[in-house]
Amino acid sequence: MFARISYALRETIASFRRNITLSAAAVLTSAVSLLLVGTTFLIQRAFDNLLVQWRGDVGMIVFVRPDASEEQLTFIRQTLEAQPNVINVKKLDYLDRAASFEEAKRVFAGDRTTLSLLTVETIPSQFKVIPLTTDPALVRGLADQYRNLPGVQGVALAEDEFDVISTMSSFVRGVTITMSLILLGVAVTLIWNTIRTAMVARRNEIEVMKLVGATNWFIRVPFILEGLTQGLFGAVVSCGGLWTLNQAWTSGVAGFKTGTGVSSLVVPGSYVSGVMIILLVIGALAGGIGSGIAASKFLDV
Amino acid sequence: MIRFENVTKLYGSDVAAVREASFDIPKGEFVFLVGPSGSGKSTLLRLMNRQERPERGTVWVAGANINELADSRVPYLRRGMGNVFQDYKLLMNKTVFENVAFSLQVIGRPKHVIRQQVPQVLELVGLADKEDRFPSQLSGGEQQRVSIARAFVNRPLIMLADEPTGNLDPATGEEIMSLLDSINRTGTTVVMATHDHRVVNAMRRRVIQLDRGLVVRDQERGVYE
Repeated sequence: MFARISYALRETIASFRRNITLSAAAVLTSAVSLLLVGTTFLIQRAFDNLLVQWRGDVGMIVFVRPDASEEQLTFIRQTLEAQPNVINVKKLDYLDRAASFEEAKRVFAGDRTTLSLLTVETIPSQFKVIPLTTDPALVRGLADQYRNLPGVQGVALAEDEFDVISTMSSFVRGVTITMSLILLGVAVTLIWNTIRTAMVARRNEIEVMKLVGATNWFIRVPFILEGLTQGLFGAVVSCGGLWTLNQAWTSGVAGFKTGTGVSSLVVPGSYVSGVMIILLVIGALAGGIGSGIAASKFLDV
Repeated sequence: MIRFENVTKLYGSDVAAVREASFDIPKGEFVFLVGPSGSGKSTLLRLMNRQERPERGTVWVAGANINELADSRVPYLRRGMGNVFQDYKLLMNKTVFENVAFSLQVIGRPKHVIRQQVPQVLELVGLADKEDRFPSQLSGGEQQRVSIARAFVNRPLIMLADEPTGNLDPATGEEIMSLLDSINRTGTTVVMATHDHRVVNAMRRRVIQLDRGLVVRDQERGVYE
């Protein structure tokens, strides 16, 4: 067993060196496509930060002053629940100050100044309202009505903050996913072609191997390892690129004025690490699958 | 050891490379397959090691119907066979030792076995002092010896040789035949395709003659004709 593993590893390295130009091209293409895949994840997460308040068809948020009394809070709730024809009262959600503070940590991820000013004591609690009507005038009328209730700090409407971001998010996500899928396809094709070239270059060797009784898997494994390595190397390079990109973005965002909303677009390092693991898995799988198909298809060279 | 029962091999839908071939080769026999180019000699060899499958008939090797052998079992069938080719099929980037060791490596033989068996077989073919040479540094006859060493190092039951003297001068051809003869004397069945009159007439072994895919003669201690 050890002899076989050692043989497979030796052959993988030798083949990688023999086809260094093609291998480098395959690694770079994998890296670029995976970087784009990673960027898609980060963009999505950044937009999610902006939209986290508006998840689940929330159309309106009624902010309650932190110093509002229990009676005021109850009155606001009762007012909202008294309108089942225009509000989905079953899904009326109340975030107390602690929950609102947790949410704020994501919304103001890149705005340390604002975040430092917020505490569980000073942050407003909030009712997340899902209007049943789609008539913007009616929703706006409701907002004006709630704004004047005692204890209410303010009312935010999704259509003011959400729609543009949501449209932009969908567009950017669509473009980046499409481009990354195309590039991933190109990377797999290039790895496939590299393995095919390697196999054609070693056709005499493969013929001899088959005639002396090597199993197909024994012949395939070094080629599959080669493709898997190319995919994995590409993923490692893309992880470096993604980390650098995120660092540059985070620093860039820090320069924006607080309260512009841009600060929400910062993605935390822990999330980036998770994306990197995904990229490594995708890279290895794409390389392994691409080369595995080629190694099976061209075994009869 | 090898039995063909009414074997027909077609290339395309109607070109018969082998037609209704039937013969039996017992263990330890030395058999020449003779006939002009295109008569089906190489196809018969390829049917024996399952590089080809017949359209009709049955090929038996070592008691197994190899037409019905699962693809995954074919490598194990081939481990009991050695193959020698007219163009040697040596790996030019490997030394003599590495070329011979290669056939043991790829079937997973451990290093200590390789270190023991390769020098033995190189001694047998008379190349013990050239194990570090590359094929390009050897004569044609020496390259064919390496090819025979590679085929024999695993001590196969059967050796299939396709025109092994085709690229060699008569004297070197004789040396190679002598080597194959001594391998045959160890009990290995040797099947050799050739159209070299001299070696067939000199050896006087069993001759199976083919003509346009048909077995037209099967003679003990035959000559080329």
